[in-house]
Amino acid sequence: MTLQILLAISSVLFVFGLVAALTRQNAIMVLIGIELMMGAGNLNFIAFWRFSPHSELLTGVMFAIFSIAVAAAEAAVGIAIIILVHRRIKSANVDNADQLKG
Amino acid sequence: MSDLLQRFNALPWEAYSQWLVILPAGVMLLAAAAAVALRNLIHAALCLTLSFIALGIIFIALGAEFVGLVQLLVYVGAVAMLIVFAILLTRPSDLAGTKSPFAGIGPVTGILTGAGLLIVLLAFIFKSPLTKVAMPVAPSAPVADIGKLLMNSYIVPLQVIGVLLTSALIGAAVLAMEDKKP
Repeated sequence: MTLQILLAISSVLFVFGLVAALTRQNAIMVLIGIELMMGAGNLNFIAFWRFSPHSELLTGVMFAIFSIAVAAAEAAVGIAIIILVHRRIKSANVDNADQLKG
Repeated sequence: MSDLLQRFNALPWEAYSQWLVILPAGVMLLAAAAAVALRNLIHAALCLTLSFIALGIIFIALGAEFVGLVQLLVYVGAVAMLIVFAILLTRPSDLAGTKSPFAGIGPVTGILTGAGLLIVLLAFIFKSPLTKVAMPVAPSAPVADIGKLLMNSYIVPLQVIGVLLTSALIGAAVLAMEDKKP
């Protein structure tokens, strides 16, 4: 087990999330892609913490905890926005939300 | 019972630790790929949940037990549930969806972008001298230490996160509230 393997795993996970966010038309799938990218970032924090010479400072663990909290807030607001947009334009397709007018 | 526990603890966990990361990582990547590719949204959300469970197991295997448990509680318990609720609430959207003019080009450009980024990331990861460090002895992250740090050095970020979560939840409720005016 080396740091490279963990970083490679997390970059593959990040790319899956990026592809989901870029190609899927449903807004919920875009949100799922963003969550996957957040998970890849957290895996990087934990991987670098695991290999750091000063792991007793717990910096990576702290960053991962705060990042999870921010991801939870982001998911709640994102889903509220998706539901609001769906109520206005009767569609969760991101291509249909093409007006600035409410 | 205690006999079982002793035999469980006597297992050579150090030898297994590599597979405790590699196997969940394989499950996590397969489930993430399925979540990205599946057409059915509910199936995609369930695959995302499986991927989050595997990610939590990786955190625990890497020694960050608290983060792994928080990951399981927050992502598997709350975020996956929110996503399933959102899918159910926006259910008839497929009927009203119009064809985008870029529907044919979008996936190709997206996958090409992802593949390009993956190649660049992997090339730099495997070229970097920093990442050739050997694995140090397993660090421990006791919950008591995490709590002391949260209450001392990280008290300001903790309060800011509290304000952020409160305002995010109030904002989400206000956004999703029904319009009262006709």
